[in-house]
Amino acid sequence: MTSVPSPRFRINRHRRLAWLGSGLACGLSLLGLALCWLNPAIHAPLRPGLDFTGGTQVQVERDCAPCKPVTPVEVREGLSRLTLPSPEGERPPSLGSASVQVLDGGRSLLLRLPALDADQSTALIDDLGKRFGPLRSSGTSVNTIGPTLGSRLLRGSLISLLVSFVAISVYISFSYSGIFAVLALLCLAHDVLITCGLFAWLGLLQGIEVDSLFAVSLITIAGYSVNDTVVVYDRIREQRRNLADLPLVDQVDVAVDATLTRSLYTSFTTLLPLVALIFFGGSTLFWFAVALTVGIAVGSWSSIGLAPTLLPVFSKR
Amino acid sequence: MGRQQGWFALILALTIASGALLANYGLQLGLDLRGGSQLTLQVMPAGAITRVDTEQLEAVKDVLERRINGLGVAESTLQAVGSDQLVLQLPGEQDPSQAARVLGSTALLEFRAQKPGTEQEMQGLLGLKRQAESVLRSKRPPSALDDPTATPPPPPSSLSPEDLAKALTSLGIKVPAGASEVDQLELLLRETNRRILALYGPPLITGKDLTSAGRQQQATGSGWEVTLGFNREGGEKFAALTQSIAGTNRVLGIVLDGRSISEASVGEQFKVAGITGGSASITGNFSAEEARDLEVQLRGGSLPLPVKIVEVRTVGPSLGAENIRSSLVAGLSGLALVAVFMAVVYRLPGMVAVVALSLYALFNLAIYALIPVTLTLPGIAGFILSMGMAVDANVLIFERIKEELRAGNTLIRSIDTGFSLALSSIIDGHVTGLISCAALFFLGTGLVKGFAVTLAIGLLLSLFTALTCTRTLLRLLMSYPTLRRPTYFLPARQLPPLRAGAAPAGAA
Repeated sequence: MTSVPSPRFRINRHRRLAWLGSGLACGLSLLGLALCWLNPAIHAPLRPGLDFTGGTQVQVERDCAPCKPVTPVEVREGLSRLTLPSPEGERPPSLGSASVQVLDGGRSLLLRLPALDADQSTALIDDLGKRFGPLRSSGTSVNTIGPTLGSRLLRGSLISLLVSFVAISVYISFSYSGIFAVLALLCLAHDVLITCGLFAWLGLLQGIEVDSLFAVSLITIAGYSVNDTVVVYDRIREQRRNLADLPLVDQVDVAVDATLTRSLYTSFTTLLPLVALIFFGGSTLFWFAVALTVGIAVGSWSSIGLAPTLLPVFSKR
Repeated sequence: MGRQQGWFALILALTIASGALLANYGLQLGLDLRGGSQLTLQVMPAGAITRVDTEQLEAVKDVLERRINGLGVAESTLQAVGSDQLVLQLPGEQDPSQAARVLGSTALLEFRAQKPGTEQEMQGLLGLKRQAESVLRSKRPPSALDDPTATPPPPPSSLSPEDLAKALTSLGIKVPAGASEVDQLELLLRETNRRILALYGPPLITGKDLTSAGRQQQATGSGWEVTLGFNREGGEKFAALTQSIAGTNRVLGIVLDGRSISEASVGEQFKVAGITGGSASITGNFSAEEARDLEVQLRGGSLPLPVKIVEVRTVGPSLGAENIRSSLVAGLSGLALVAVFMAVVYRLPGMVAVVALSLYALFNLAIYALIPVTLTLPGIAGFILSMGMAVDANVLIFERIKEELRAGNTLIRSIDTGFSLALSSIIDGHVTGLISCAALFFLGTGLVKGFAVTLAIGLLLSLFTALTCTRTLLRLLMSYPTLRRPTYFLPARQLPPLRAGAAPAGAA
């Protein structure tokens, strides 16, 4: 292994293209997040789901085949007429602001409401049963989430993520060097940003909301991104010993070329079950699998095209 | 070779143990997978208490546990989360609104005097209640709290099926068809309780006036008694209350959350001033466990920290089951494709990796069953990620082996070098993963914790399978000369010209 290998693929020859691609993707993502923030109906970087806003979500499944069609307007009309039971001295929540979705060709109804207590949601489901029933009791789901819980969850995940970033960069600084750690975190931010950006656009255009599973997928992507980058780093470190006389750019090119097959194969094998989940999995996991797929694809890209190409630039200074 | 066989024996033993574990214990599925409801309760500080501490949380939990048991829901679990939250899980098709109602009400303790002129009716009801209670008690297993050396309680006064039926009819209760004896007894108790409550006057003292509750062994006899301490106002009210019924046949009722838990008569000697001194004891020949129950309930009543339901999540069991089935099928077919890919790209070692990764999945599941880890959707995400990293470890090793072979090294040497060169990157990747797991586990909340646990287990196991299982199996196969062909590792055209045609490569 003392002879100078000539890599088939020199990543640093294409680095401007790589930076352009990543820069464009990041810019689009930031634009999506900003547009989401400016949108008066959302007013947050991502369209927050029930987990973060709090409230009650009721899903009922009608026991009929074929089902008489229902429009969201009809459902909402009934809601505004309904008076819910309430504890003494309190006004029942108004249901006028409820959002209603009709799913599966009228078989399921999904209602997003202000927070209801147990009696109120039972009364609501009874009412829905009378008007659109019969309902299948095993297909009914009621989720009520207090508004403080979502922020607690968000804060907990963010703090733990930040602490793990710091700990990981300390580890990389020790076993590689500070600049490696900074770039690994930069790549990680890049991967998370693009995934968030995609969901910001989905939120804007398709009304897709992010839930706590989305937070979990971001953490997963972060873990994957670091692992992927570290493997390339390990090769670069090895080449710096083996090919000490060559400039860093060439060492990086050799290392990326040597790990390219591995990077692609690993991403491919990780993506296979995820893509299967997207196409054939249950509906609850659909957006989760989409987030993971995008994040892992982007993570793989950044470990090939971004971290190694930025390394020579930053190391020169 | 001896070392390889030792490892092989270990792997075999672990495989058998894992299989046995899974067969015996099975996996615990989270509510998001099997359907059910989850209620999160926030314990609110009240009055003099500004911060909820663990002790108070435990006290609230004890009270709530008793109420849940009273509900008769199967397999429910109540867990403390953090310093001021409780999470109740009700699996399956159980209505969470009932639980929400019962849990949301504050433990209300009341002392009430019996109305005059109802003595005879009360006597009959109390007789029935005692009989039903003692029969029910005899059907429950003895408690560890009871002193085993103490004389066993007297045999329950019998309540024959005919008597039970008669009693039920006399109270106007319709027994549903197929109700067991216990069901009937509980129906009877509920009805007697309802009627007893009707005979009481309004509540004169409530839990607010109670400052302490304890239990002690009775001075005479073997039973236990429960002691109560009142504040000044409560003490005065208690004296007045007891004075009003002293010497009569009327009883003092102690009512907790609408259930008469104790009925006591007051002796003639308290006719003048009532029971003074701000304390009282309830003697009723309680067993140790009963006394503790009562004490806990009274404490719950005397220390009412309100609870608020902050979250109710319900997944219909059919939704859960549907989800898990389709996701499982999708995940498994994805993994099957991964196996095909590995076998095609890496040939012989690829097939070895498929075996090693199957073992990896098996060990993972066995550890989930052993700890036990409750599998939730985030947990499955953690498993997928660790599976990805486990495959990655194998890919790293095999790519290195291929490189060494292309460089013209012998097969056995290439395998050894491949493993040792891949080691540092595998360890770095896994260590960074474990660092995030630790942070997520110690700082994250419920969902994130579940993810961190499965990922950490997966990462530790992946180190073991990649470095031990794959290696041992590969070396074991290499001891068969017929399998020792570089072309079983990569296409002949990629081998250096000198070796391309050379059949069985020499051993190291």
